[in-house]
Amino acid sequence: MSDRIFGVVGILLSALFIWRATVIQESFMSDAVGPKTFPIIIGTILGLASLYFIARPDAEPVWPRFTGLIEIFMAIVVLIAYAIALPELGFAITTAIATAYLSWRLGSPAWQALLAGLLTSGGLYLVFRVILGLSLARGPFGF
Amino acid sequence: MEVLQSLADGFAVALTFENLGLALIGCFLGTIIGALPGLGPSNGVAILIPLAFTLGLGPTPAMILLTSVYYGAMYGGRISSILLNIPGDEPALMTTLDGHPMARKGRAGEALTLSGIASFVGAFFATWGLVFLAPLLVKVALLFGPAEYFALFTLAFATLGGIASRNQAKAVFAAALGLGIAMIGVDGQTGVPRFTFGEVHLYDGIDFLVAIVGLFALSEVFVFIEQAATRNRGERHQDDHPKIGRILPSWSVIRSCTPSMLRSTVLGFLAGVLPGAGASLGSFISYSIEKRLVDKEGTFGTGDPRGVAAPEAGNNAAAGGALVPMLALGVPGSGTTAVLLAVLLSLNITPGPLLFQNNPDVVWGLIAALFIANFVLLALNIPMVGMFVRILMVPTRFLMPVVAMVSFVGIYGISGSSFDLLVMIVFGVLGWVLRKLDVPLVPIILGILLGAAMEKNLRRAITISNGDWTTLIHSGLSITLWVIAIVGFVLPIIVGPALRGRMAMRRDEESSAVD
Amino acid sequence: MKLANVVKTTLLALGITIGAGLGAVFAFDPENPECIAPADPGGGWDFTCRQVGKSLQDEGLIPMTMQVTNLSGGGGGVAFAEVVNKRNDDNNLIVAASSATATRLAQGAYPGNTMDQVRWLAAVGSDYGVIAVAANSPVNTLPELLDQIKMDPTSVSIAGGSAVGGWDHLKVLIAAKAYGIDDVRSVKYIAFDGGGEAVTQLLAGSVQAFTGDLSEAKGFVDSGDIKILAVLSPERLGGEFADYPTAKEQGVDAIGANWRGFYAPGGMSDDAYNYWVNDIATLYASDAWKAVMEANGLAPLNLQGDAFQAFVADSVASITQISKEIGIIQ
Repeated sequence: MSDRIFGVVGILLSALFIWRATVIQESFMSDAVGPKTFPIIIGTILGLASLYFIARPDAEPVWPRFTGLIEIFMAIVVLIAYAIALPELGFAITTAIATAYLSWRLGSPAWQALLAGLLTSGGLYLVFRVILGLSLARGPFGF
Repeated sequence: MEVLQSLADGFAVALTFENLGLALIGCFLGTIIGALPGLGPSNGVAILIPLAFTLGLGPTPAMILLTSVYYGAMYGGRISSILLNIPGDEPALMTTLDGHPMARKGRAGEALTLSGIASFVGAFFATWGLVFLAPLLVKVALLFGPAEYFALFTLAFATLGGIASRNQAKAVFAAALGLGIAMIGVDGQTGVPRFTFGEVHLYDGIDFLVAIVGLFALSEVFVFIEQAATRNRGERHQDDHPKIGRILPSWSVIRSCTPSMLRSTVLGFLAGVLPGAGASLGSFISYSIEKRLVDKEGTFGTGDPRGVAAPEAGNNAAAGGALVPMLALGVPGSGTTAVLLAVLLSLNITPGPLLFQNNPDVVWGLIAALFIANFVLLALNIPMVGMFVRILMVPTRFLMPVVAMVSFVGIYGISGSSFDLLVMIVFGVLGWVLRKLDVPLVPIILGILLGAAMEKNLRRAITISNGDWTTLIHSGLSITLWVIAIVGFVLPIIVGPALRGRMAMRRDEESSAVD
Repeated sequence: MKLANVVKTTLLALGITIGAGLGAVFAFDPENPECIAPADPGGGWDFTCRQVGKSLQDEGLIPMTMQVTNLSGGGGGVAFAEVVNKRNDDNNLIVAASSATATRLAQGAYPGNTMDQVRWLAAVGSDYGVIAVAANSPVNTLPELLDQIKMDPTSVSIAGGSAVGGWDHLKVLIAAKAYGIDDVRSVKYIAFDGGGEAVTQLLAGSVQAFTGDLSEAKGFVDSGDIKILAVLSPERLGGEFADYPTAKEQGVDAIGANWRGFYAPGGMSDDAYNYWVNDIATLYASDAWKAVMEANGLAPLNLQGDAFQAFVADSVASITQISKEIGIIQ
């Protein structure tokens, strides 16, 4: 069943892709092939492969139970929040919090998770900022 | 032997305490950079350029430092591929296929050592190839026009089937998905935006690093979170550590891998020589050809040492090969050589047809440096295997958050944009779902990596021929490539089912024997 | 384009490294000076930033290390928007730019942004365009090549390192137009990733002509692989480049120069603006720098402050005009 749903999603994706390809605005100057042809070929291959999934699905994978899905959803939310907060609050604080959360949900006791957060944040700062000299997000306190 | 005399002069230039020290530093930093997901050789070299200038190094020492970083990163990429199933950089992608299964079987030490040896073999012979063949190989690169490049890329995708998945259709789907993602952004030929939905961040397309890190590293984190949730709450779980096992592979393993290493070295080197093809294609073609040639029992993909040796020899040989067009034509064969080219130029050295005449000291010093870097890396890597393997001992509840954060920081440090981080999360979720559905992730990356070049060359070829599509099969070379591509695609479909039946039987036998 | 950028910036950066001078005292001193490279590490803009930053520090022109921030996306558009929208009054910030920036601004490729939203600081040099063919080509002069195109546009494929509508392409079209080829859209241009790749395809025989910058072509001319039909400079260049004819002397009135420089946020204070203009000017004005430019085919472009601002405005205006004539923009 999963493969069949996947096949349908694939076909929708391929249809969307081909449609978006046909509406690409051609510029005045174009080469002989143009910007549409190759994406349309790819979209077609995508659709054909999807059809095959509907016709001949593989065995059903094991999906997580409801609690598992909630955990993953929460992790995604935290990571998105991290991505957005990083430039605003700076690297050190956000990284410590995000690491601690993930470590906690992966089964660490709270105090260990917090420690892991602080150490990870500090360690990465050392490697990326101090040794490699990359610019990490600065934040209001300068780190 | 004029060449050997020049090489000896090169060593005379390169063998000083200062230069050896720089090679050591470069190799060490390069290995770390290569192992960190999100940072690859090209970024690594670019990041360390200021270091070279801050130290006030002359042309030769600077090049020694930076090429050591380059080779070091090529070595280092394999480490996280094997230990964590996360490619440290794009050429190390194929190493995950057999490297990680080996680690899970408790053979991580062997896999690391073997891949270190394979890297050495690939890089070592490629450097000799650079010494003797550079002027000749330039002519090979000139045989490839746009039509031939298109055939070559098609070949790469056609031989893809069945490498990473048992379901050919899913591999095709994954490749098409990757190619589709590669289409996002401003079209390089006409300048019109495609599939960008008006989002300015998408104009440059989706960086394959973002995709790699999302698909491999983040999806791995989700897998572990799912597992943690599935376990009964309250029950303090034991992290199931894979055994470390022996560090040095037995002679019989090394011997069985030797032919694979040598073949892959040749293939990888040639792939590296072609401008624009690069190390990823080298490791990829090496792996798929070896699979076709020696994988009689269907053990590739389940932890076959030859499946570790082939791509590692291939990608390190390609790293050497990529220096051929860079030095002899001034045309970089890969992203990293593009950066090295920039460094050379900034040192007032113009790579190109006259480099060997005008700056022999720099060229031969550089080549000597490559040899030195190779030996340093071998000497550095084998003893460090035990240390690396200990990473596996870190409980996943600490290790995985660190992996996730390294991914974020690596990407953010390079692009400085939250948008890329969000795209990476999308790829993470996508990777998790696709893993569930047994859709291989490797073809997606290859699609993203090669898609733009593939389309560009198609369009160049057709434009040059004024719209005549038969130009794609006009030269003997392109016809040859097409034939290999078609055979490579059709053969597994016909032979595959029979092989798979035999494979399944063998597996049953093996498992019953173990039990 | 990317490689071309790398090459060009690097050459400039090199010049700047060697160029030196004394900083004047100003009412402003930067704290945490920062240079945004609107591309990933390794690109041309990145190199401009890193090298200029380092040289400024070496020469004592800035009090501390220049932090280089990579902000890639949209061919520089993401960085431009960030500077305009979020960092508009940052006195410590400079951003790398080039002809590519002007081309994109002219063609409206930075949606909603115009060149007036930032302050243009100074140029650090420029690279003149060339049109070349393989050494064994029967074509020997620019008019011969353009005549061929005029007779049968499909017979000549011209390779360049920028995208369609990019700077390498525009140079050919400017020349074609100057020669009286009215439908310049029929000129067959093949876009490659950088001048090096384009030259390789010229040598491989896939294409018949090459358009790029002098610095890209130099090595191949010296080795006898290609011959330059015309340099798109107003008059012959000095030194070893004196042998190459200009387009102008062959009756084709076309000039094309690829400049490199910096801009700063629009709300930067006058003190800070003057400080940065002078810093870069001091670096630029040295004899060693001039020698380097000559050796590498780089032409001087001594423009700072208001003069540079006016130059960029002209540059944008003329690119807008030619792009309209060609039909890349409406």
